[in-house]
Amino acid sequence: MNQTLVSYLSQYEFFDVLLSLFGKNEGLLAFTIYLVFAGIIVGLCATIGGLGTYAERKISADIQQRIGPNRVGPYGILQFLADGVKMITKEDIMPFTADKFLFYLAPMLALIGVFSTLAVLPWSNGFIMADLNVGIFYLIAISSLVGVSVFLGGYASNSKWSMLGGLRGASQIISYEIPVTISILSITLLAGGMSFGTILGQQEGAPVHWFLFHNPFAFIAFFVYFVGALAETNRAPFDLPEAESELVSGYHTEYTGMRFGFFALAEYIEVFVVCGVGSALFLGGGNLPFSTTFDIIPLQLVQVVIFMTKTLLLYYVVIWVRWTFPRLRVDQLMSICWKYLTPIAIFNLVGNAVWVVVFHGKSIAELLSGGH
Amino acid sequence: MIPAQFDGLMPIVILMGIAILLFVGGHFLSVVLSPKKPSHLKQTPYECGEQPVGSAWSAFNVRFYVVGLIFIIFDVESVLMFPVAAIFRELNDMGEGAYALIIFLSFISVLLEGIAYCWKKGDLDWVKSFQVSVKNNK
Amino acid sequence: MFVQLLFLLSASLTIGCAIAVAVTKNIMHSCIFLLGSLIGIAGLYATLGADFVAVTQIMVYVGGIVILMLFAVMLTGGKDFVSRAQNLLGLAPSMGNKWTYGVGLSVGLVFLLTNVKLILSISEYFPEKKFGNEFPSTVTQIGHLLVKDHVLAFELSSVLLLGALVGAAIIARPRKQ
Repeated sequence: MNQTLVSYLSQYEFFDVLLSLFGKNEGLLAFTIYLVFAGIIVGLCATIGGLGTYAERKISADIQQRIGPNRVGPYGILQFLADGVKMITKEDIMPFTADKFLFYLAPMLALIGVFSTLAVLPWSNGFIMADLNVGIFYLIAISSLVGVSVFLGGYASNSKWSMLGGLRGASQIISYEIPVTISILSITLLAGGMSFGTILGQQEGAPVHWFLFHNPFAFIAFFVYFVGALAETNRAPFDLPEAESELVSGYHTEYTGMRFGFFALAEYIEVFVVCGVGSALFLGGGNLPFSTTFDIIPLQLVQVVIFMTKTLLLYYVVIWVRWTFPRLRVDQLMSICWKYLTPIAIFNLVGNAVWVVVFHGKSIAELLSGGH
Repeated sequence: MIPAQFDGLMPIVILMGIAILLFVGGHFLSVVLSPKKPSHLKQTPYECGEQPVGSAWSAFNVRFYVVGLIFIIFDVESVLMFPVAAIFRELNDMGEGAYALIIFLSFISVLLEGIAYCWKKGDLDWVKSFQVSVKNNK
Repeated sequence: MFVQLLFLLSASLTIGCAIAVAVTKNIMHSCIFLLGSLIGIAGLYATLGADFVAVTQIMVYVGGIVILMLFAVMLTGGKDFVSRAQNLLGLAPSMGNKWTYGVGLSVGLVFLLTNVKLILSISEYFPEKKFGNEFPSTVTQIGHLLVKDHVLAFELSSVLLLGALVGAAIIARPRKQ
């Protein structure tokens, strides 16, 4: 049974009030609630995407001992709005040898792929817009649309830099999907289900119940997932498809103005989603450090804050890694994926399966405390 | 009245619709607000100041395709493993954990043999080592 | 109401993109319309309540097969091939003359009538199932079936995948001259 936001809210009294407002038409009420919530989420994620560019410039400035943007607004915090306005007012140039249809389609596919993943992201235990039974599986499936859009962007520009960037980017994204999927398989094994509600429900309580500390194999699986997710989103040190010194910006060389803005927005929101998934699967998501028996809306909002904190912490680590490590060569990139990460991920999966059978799925903390 | 199992599809369709609307709206906004002065030089593909020679749509190395093939095999394998992994704990609680483990491990081991074969034969190398020997034999 | 809307969207996406695959002159555009058609089929699976199969469709087909086809078209120089439309309003690419179209149409009609007769006679024997609100997850059902009833098929599929992997690696290897 899929739990959704509407079925969660239906246990409160104000839901019946709203229902009578809509003339007992539950479908219309559900649609309105989803529309409002989707609008809030899209606005939030677009802001986070924009602030992500600002955070990146500030953090990189900090690491490189300079100041970064500080003109627009207090401490330069409105810089992303200025960038957005700039991008909208730039001329939209399309190379005359480009493939028009695919040139238009590539950013839209990226946006569709990334926005559809926001529907299953667990903001708190109750505020999941659609807690599908196949939640996490759906998320990795739909974010492979971004790989198609990278290739199309590179192909449609009909420029040799873009073509190479697009081919390398697409092969990088599809290669690193395998370690990420197998790490997620390990978590599915431990949790006994693919829905985010099940996975979060197993991690309730103190941080020792997180899947990160469940057993050593899950601990390693977190790092495999993190490295694979870095490569999937084309973030440094895996950003060869958009490297400035090698490929002049790779698959989005020929994109100008708002279209480039959409590619960048899709990338930053994808990083946020990937960090959110990492914090939900391994770090306990929005779970409070203590178990409660009652359930009120303010408690859910506290959980949203906790989830956002963990996600933004991982986001900071992603930005930090970018300005610390040098870029990988393309053959090193591929050999890391197929010769190191995939065997390690399969080893983790086998280890987790054996652990579940031998220790009946108890975590290390439970075994040490006497099996409660 | 929506049957319960379709409840979750509505947010997905709504979000896809929002993505398409956002794209169309942003495109419309930029059409209204941006200058339109196309020139031949601006519309030539960028090649660091040189004139581009030939089309970019020439044939590329086959190793991209090999990576795609190996990926699709592992993708289907992980998809087949998902339902088994989802009920693994349930089977373990019912006492059939060893049986499920044997099935799981035999499935994975067959594919491990596949990856070992590709590794040994050099299909996973980005630059194949025996290409050099072909040149030396000429 | 929503399910009907979803079905209409998915079905029109599937059929429209499938027609576009056959009618487009540019082969890369055909691949992208195939992508749209496969997403439509995933939507159709979702309207039937088969959530796991729908997501599998997206993961394997959209995320894998379409990218593979795009790579294959790129690498074999197929994108230079622009089909010259022949007959029938300049739409259908070089399929023949009115005789082949006539034979094809009549065969299709016979096939359709046979199928309709078969389906109508079968549905007399099986009562309609109704979805209840307690519809259990298809994932656990598929999992139980894979481990209990169809375990041999499960293991043999891994051998099939191994064969596909080895065969593909051999074929894609450059020839030693």
